[in-house]
Amino acid sequence: MNRTFADTVFRNGRIYTSNRAQPWAACAAVKAGRFIAVGEERDVASLVGERTATVDLRGRMAMPGIVDIHNHIMMGGQADLYELRFSNADSVPRIAETLHKAASAAKPGAWIVGGQFGNNLLNEMNTAESCALLDAACLGHPVVLRDDTYHNRWASSAALRLAGVQADTPDPTDGEIGRDLKTGTLTGIMIEAASGLVERALAASGHYTPEMDRAAVARSIGVLNTYGVTAFIDAASMQPILAALKGLDDRGELTAWAVCAMPVVEPGFMFGKAGEELFALREDYRGAHVKPDYVKVFLDGVPGAKTAAFHEPYVADPVRGCCFRGATMLTVPDLIRWLGRCEKLGLAAKIHCAGDAAVTQALDAIDVVRSFNGSTHLVHQIAHASYIAPDDIKRFAELGVAADLSPIIWYPTVFLEAHKAAMGEERAQRFWPNKDLKEAGALMAGGSDWPVIPIPDPWQGIEGMVTRQNPTGDFPGKSLWAEQALDLATVIDIYTIDAARAAGLGQSIGSIEVGKSADLIVLDQMIFDIPQDQLADTRVEMTFFEGRKVYERGA
Amino acid sequence: MAAVDQIPVTVLTGFLGSGKTTVLNHLLRQPELNGVVAIINEFGEVALDHLLVESSEDRLALLDNGCICCSVREDLIETLADLASRRAAGTIPPFHRVLVETTGLADPVPVLHTLMTAPDVLSRYRIDGVVATVDAVNGARTLAAHSEAVRQIAVADRLLVTKTDVAADDELSRLDVRLAAINPVAARHHVRNGIVDPAKVLDAGLFDPAAHSADVVRWFDLAAQAANAPHHHVEHHCDDEDCGHHSHHAHNTDVSSYSLIIDEPIQREAFARWLDYVAALKGEDLLRFKAIVHVAEQPDAPVVVHGVQHVFHPPITLQGWPSADRRSRLVFIVRGIPRQIIENTLCKFAAVSRAAIRRSAA
Repeated sequence: MNRTFADTVFRNGRIYTSNRAQPWAACAAVKAGRFIAVGEERDVASLVGERTATVDLRGRMAMPGIVDIHNHIMMGGQADLYELRFSNADSVPRIAETLHKAASAAKPGAWIVGGQFGNNLLNEMNTAESCALLDAACLGHPVVLRDDTYHNRWASSAALRLAGVQADTPDPTDGEIGRDLKTGTLTGIMIEAASGLVERALAASGHYTPEMDRAAVARSIGVLNTYGVTAFIDAASMQPILAALKGLDDRGELTAWAVCAMPVVEPGFMFGKAGEELFALREDYRGAHVKPDYVKVFLDGVPGAKTAAFHEPYVADPVRGCCFRGATMLTVPDLIRWLGRCEKLGLAAKIHCAGDAAVTQALDAIDVVRSFNGSTHLVHQIAHASYIAPDDIKRFAELGVAADLSPIIWYPTVFLEAHKAAMGEERAQRFWPNKDLKEAGALMAGGSDWPVIPIPDPWQGIEGMVTRQNPTGDFPGKSLWAEQALDLATVIDIYTIDAARAAGLGQSIGSIEVGKSADLIVLDQMIFDIPQDQLADTRVEMTFFEGRKVYERGA
Repeated sequence: MAAVDQIPVTVLTGFLGSGKTTVLNHLLRQPELNGVVAIINEFGEVALDHLLVESSEDRLALLDNGCICCSVREDLIETLADLASRRAAGTIPPFHRVLVETTGLADPVPVLHTLMTAPDVLSRYRIDGVVATVDAVNGARTLAAHSEAVRQIAVADRLLVTKTDVAADDELSRLDVRLAAINPVAARHHVRNGIVDPAKVLDAGLFDPAAHSADVVRWFDLAAQAANAPHHHVEHHCDDEDCGHHSHHAHNTDVSSYSLIIDEPIQREAFARWLDYVAALKGEDLLRFKAIVHVAEQPDAPVVVHGVQHVFHPPITLQGWPSADRRSRLVFIVRGIPRQIIENTLCKFAAVSRAAIRRSAA
C-alpha cells in the first residue's frame, strides 16, 4: 500500500489555528510546505514515517505566522545595515551630537542617511538656529535625516547643494521647502514631495547597489521572522524592491510571502517607474512567493505635518491661517479612473488615507466603482484607517474595503502628541475606532508601517489593540480612547487570517488548516492565559515558513 | 460655440471587401459631391477631376487617459488642419464637406475620437455622421470573426448593405437581423452595384446644432423604439457548419443596445459627473452613446451628447424642442453593460429618480 508520510510533524502543542471551525489542536503534519493534517495525536500518528521530522512543542503555544499588512521592506533593512539610527524622542541637540560622531567617522564626501526624528520637532527644526546647529554637526557631509512619518526630511546644506535646492527654488507640487519664518533662509526641512528633491540626489549618487538592496530586504525579512511574521505587504514597491524580492525568491532565500503594492504615481520618498510603466513589469517580478498584485495610492499626507485631509480645519497657525483642512492629492474622478484601470488589470489598491476626508473620498470612489463594476474578489484597503468620520465606519463592510491598521500607534505615542498640536486634543483622541469598525463588520488587518515605527514588533501592536495603552511604558497610566479596545482572539485574527484575506491570500495562508502553507510560530508563553499588559513581552521561539524553520530564538 | 461655418465630416467605414470603395467611387461622381474633399487611406480606382483627395497614413497617438483603446489619429489632425488653412489662404478651392474613408481593417473609433476631441479639428469641423458598408454575402462571417467589424457597425449612424443583388434572400434577412441586433438605431439601406443616393449617406446631421432639432428628436424616437424592440440582444445561432460560429470571440457576441426615457429634468452637474464615471469605468464597453437631455437649468434648450467609448463630444445645445415631448432620451450600444447598472447609477450619481425612468418608448 502506498502511504504518504509527513515531512514534519508538530506534536504536543497548544496550537491556536485562527480557524473558527477548529480553533485549537495539539498536532499538525506538514508535507511539501503544506499542512496535511491538523488535530490530535491520532490524526497525525499514521503520517509519521522513518524520515518524518518531529518537532515536540512541549506544551508550548503555537499559532499561524503573522501577516504584516503594511511595511516598507527595503527601508528597515537599509536602515539597520546602512543608516544612522536615533530615537524619535531625541531632542535636536541630541540628534546633532549623534550626527557629529557619525560625520567624524564617515569617509570624505560620503552621504549620511539617518532617522527617525520625531515629526513633532519639525517646527523647531524649521529655523535658522536649528539648521546652523545641525549643519555644524555634519562637517560638510551631505546628510539626509527622515522623520518618523517618513514623509518629511531634514537635509544638510551640502545635501541641498547636491539636490540643486537654492533659496529661490520654488516649492514642488504637494510639498514645501522649509524656510526660516524670520530670515527666509533655507532650514533644510523638506515637507512631503520636497523630500524627493533630496532623495533623488541620494539615489543618483549610487549610494545603494542591487546587492545592497537584496541584503537589505533579506535583513528586513530576517527581522520580521524573529517576531513571527511570515507574510507582508510591501506598501510602496518600486523596481529595486521588486527586483530584490524576486532575486531572493529565485535563490530560494525568501522566508516570507511578499505581496507588493506598486505605486500609481511616484511617491514622495521613492523614485523611479510608477503606474502603468511599473504595472507592465509585474509578471517579470512575480515569483513563487512574490505577488505583485496590489497598487499603492497616496491620497494625502500625515496629520502631524498638517498634510492629511480632514473634514474640519486644523488648529490655526501663522502659515496656513485659520481654516486649513489639508487636501487630497487626487480628485474622486481621478481615483475612480485608477481603480477602474486596476480592477481591469486584476490589481487591488492600498489607499493611503491619514485624514478623515481622505477616507471619505476613497470610500466615495470605491462606491462608484462598485456601483458600475459590481462585486469583485479584489480587496481594496484603506491604509492607516485611523481618523474616520462616524458615518463612514459602516461603509468599510458595505463596500468590502479592508482597514489597514498601521502604524502601531493605537495608544499614546509622540505621534498622538503631534496630532493634538495639529488639531486639538479632543479630535486627536478620536484615533483608531477599531471596536467600531469591528462591530460594523469591517475586515481589519494589522500592520507595522515599519520603519515609520522603528521596530516591526507585532506583539506591541497586539497588546496595544487589547489595552489601548503604550506597552513600552511610555505615557504611563494614559489610554487612547479605551472604549475602542478589542479582545485578544479578535486581535489575533486581525494579525493572521483577516490580514491574509486583506492581502488576497486568505485561501492559502493565515490559519493552520489542511491545504494551507505551513507557516507556524512557536511562542514562549500561552498568550490567552497571561495578563494583557504582558502580551508585548511574548517572544517567538521558532518561526516556520512553508514547514521550514527560518528562525529559532538563541540559535 | 458652434461656428456657423463648421465643415461637416462624414466618416465612411466598412470591412475589407464590403464594397466601400465601390460606394465611394459611385458617390464621388455624383453632382451632390461637388466641393467635397475626400481623405482616403487606400487609393482606389477613383477618377477625381472635380475633387480634392488627400491621403492619410494611420499614425496613432495615445490620448492621455491611460487607456490604449483610446487614441487619436495625428495624421488626420494634420491633414484637416492643413486643408482648413489652405482653404483660408485660397490656395485650394473652397470645399463644404469632408469625407473620411477609413481602412477596412481599421477600428473607426480613433477617427471619431479625433473628430470629437482634437481642439484644432473641433473648431473648424463637425461630425456629420458615420456610414458603414457591410457585405450581404460575407458580412455575417466577417462579423463573427472580427471585432473591428462589429465595432464599425456599432458606431455607425447609417448602414449600407452592399451586394444585395448577389445575396440570397434568406442570407440577407439573417444579416439584417444580426445588424439590427448590434445596432438597432442606425438606418439601414440595401445597395445594389454600389449605387447609393448621396442623401442616404450625407447630412445625418446629428452633431449639427443648427436647428435640426426636429430631425434629431425624430431620430431619437425611432432609435428608442428600435432599441427597445424584442430580440435586440445578439444571440447568434447558426445551423450550418461554416458560419464561423466556432471562431467567435466571446466579446463579439455580447453587443447589445437599449434606450431609456427619463421623464424629469436632469441636473446638469450631476449628469456630467455620471457621464464622467461611465467613461472612466465602462468606456471600453460603451461602443456608442447618444442622448438628448432635458437639462433642468435650461429647459428650453435640449442638449445632445455623443460618446464613443471613453470619449465624449462636447455637448451640443439645440435651439429648442420641436414638440411638446421634452423627455430626455438616452440610447446605448454596449458590450456587456447590463441596463440595470446604467439605471442604478443614474439614480445614485445623476440625481435621477427611479420612478422617472421609462424603459419603453411607447
